[in-house]
Amino acid sequence: MSGEGVTLKRRAKGKRPFYFSDPDVDRLLSMIMALAGELSVTRDRLDTLERVAQEKGLFSQVDIETFALDEEALSDRSARHQTLFKEVTRIISAELEGLDDTDASDYSAVVAQVENDDA
Amino acid sequence: MSATYKEQARHGALPETTHDELARQHFVRSFKEYLVGAIHPGLETAYEKRAKPTFEAEHQREPETMQEVGTVMKQDSHYQAWSSLLRTSQEMMWSSAQIPVERTLPSLVGNARNTPPCGSLTLDPKLMTPAYHTAVDIHCQPGGYHTEYTEDDVAQGAIYDRAVYLYAMGQMGVNNADMGDSTVAWLQSEYPDFVPEKILDMGCAVGHSTLPYASSFPDAEVHAIDVAAPMLRHAHARASAMQLPVHFSQQNAESTHYADNSFDLVVSHILLHETSSAAIKNIIGECYRVLKPGGLMLHVETPPYEGMSPFETFLFDWDSENNNEPFWRKSHQLDLDALASNAGFEKPIIKVMAPSAFQETQRSMTFQGGDFGGGGVWFIYGCQK
Ligand SMILES: C[S@@+](CC[C@H](N)C(=O)[O-])C[C@H]1O[C@@H](n2cnc3c(N)ncnc32)[C@H](O)[C@@H]1O
Repeated sequence: MSGEGVTLKRRAKGKRPFYFSDPDVDRLLSMIMALAGELSVTRDRLDTLERVAQEKGLFSQVDIETFALDEEALSDRSARHQTLFKEVTRIISAELEGLDDTDASDYSAVVAQVENDDA
Repeated sequence: MSATYKEQARHGALPETTHDELARQHFVRSFKEYLVGAIHPGLETAYEKRAKPTFEAEHQREPETMQEVGTVMKQDSHYQAWSSLLRTSQEMMWSSAQIPVERTLPSLVGNARNTPPCGSLTLDPKLMTPAYHTAVDIHCQPGGYHTEYTEDDVAQGAIYDRAVYLYAMGQMGVNNADMGDSTVAWLQSEYPDFVPEKILDMGCAVGHSTLPYASSFPDAEVHAIDVAAPMLRHAHARASAMQLPVHFSQQNAESTHYADNSFDLVVSHILLHETSSAAIKNIIGECYRVLKPGGLMLHVETPPYEGMSPFETFLFDWDSENNNEPFWRKSHQLDLDALASNAGFEKPIIKVMAPSAFQETQRSMTFQGGDFGGGGVWFIYGCQK
């Protein structure tokens, strides 16, 4: 069949302009918006799920809105939130952890060491 | 922005989309709406409170040209963020429209082949794609209008059809037909006795603006030309699915195959700004040649820069350098009177703002970058032969 397995070009011909003093900020922003897009796709799917459930008489959006979270559920969630924050901000906290890490500060010295420890 | 979210009208030539593919496209449209409604207004604040005072402190006067506005605005963090986001939204728009087309291409090609034809389709594989279309991919559609990936390819047309709806955020109506609809409405109110028998639409792309002529003048013979085969194949499949007879053919508007004095009405919609200085002269000359005496030439565009403030011009000019529209700037600063008279036109030149026929959305009545179709008015340039 005509068109099977075709891969479309994803880059528009022409120099891509960057706007911030560091183009990596543009790149990051682009990735963040792509993530926001995928998050929105997932949220829309959840929304569809709720609507289908309601239409099929399984449960309704009101059931979700009025669902009472007991202490156990709240604690589980709270723990998950902490894990999430820790994961998202890992680069910030890891940098602080590394401040005391005098032995690993010269990476090339480590490379030299493992490369030459047979000498 | 539209209060109610109307979806593009389905027609047989559009790809099927999965739940998530559609959700991805909806996100892009919402993203664009947010940029227009919430981020764009801040540009004026940033200019008045930050960028302009910076310029004034250095020069003891206000910026007088868009270039001078640019020297300070390009350093402004709000402008940088807006530009970076707008460019990203454009890239996401094309990508979100590409995904379902890539996945379903064989069936799209098959559909286009098998739709019972209405009107006709004539392709010319030997026609050269003009250099102004191969130099960069216009408005960042990867592959431009012309790229073909497979035999009888419709991919670029199907992608364009959907992307225009997202780009205009639905503000051109469910069939993306606002430019054609508005021009027909203007024509019927200004020239109530004018009933064209033969009509030519130049640079028709997928026929969004062509079909209003076919439906409003059912007794007329409607011709539509474009240089890009994938656009024309999709246009023909779409028009056939909507049962509107149009004769599509692959020709360059700079020099067509039509005989002298053969059309009552020659139109184009956002074609001119995507050509070049030499091409635009050729196109206006060709309009004159193929028009019957008394016939009308009408080109629909966004309005010229003349009369806009340096700040407004700077923002409206964004597409020139940021959205692969290399002729945008020059095309908005042409001597339109000379262009027409050099081509032979002698009657008064038409340069009017025609109201949008699509009044379901709230209108800004101004032209701003990233809000295509939001102005609620179109600029019509033309002349009677
Ligand atoms: C922005 S699109 C036009 C949109 C279309 N008129 C509408 O209203 O939906 C520009 C189109 O003009 C075509 N084009 C550019 N230069 C041309 C030329 N010299 N002759 C014919 N078509 C041309 C391109 O291939 C593209 O499809």
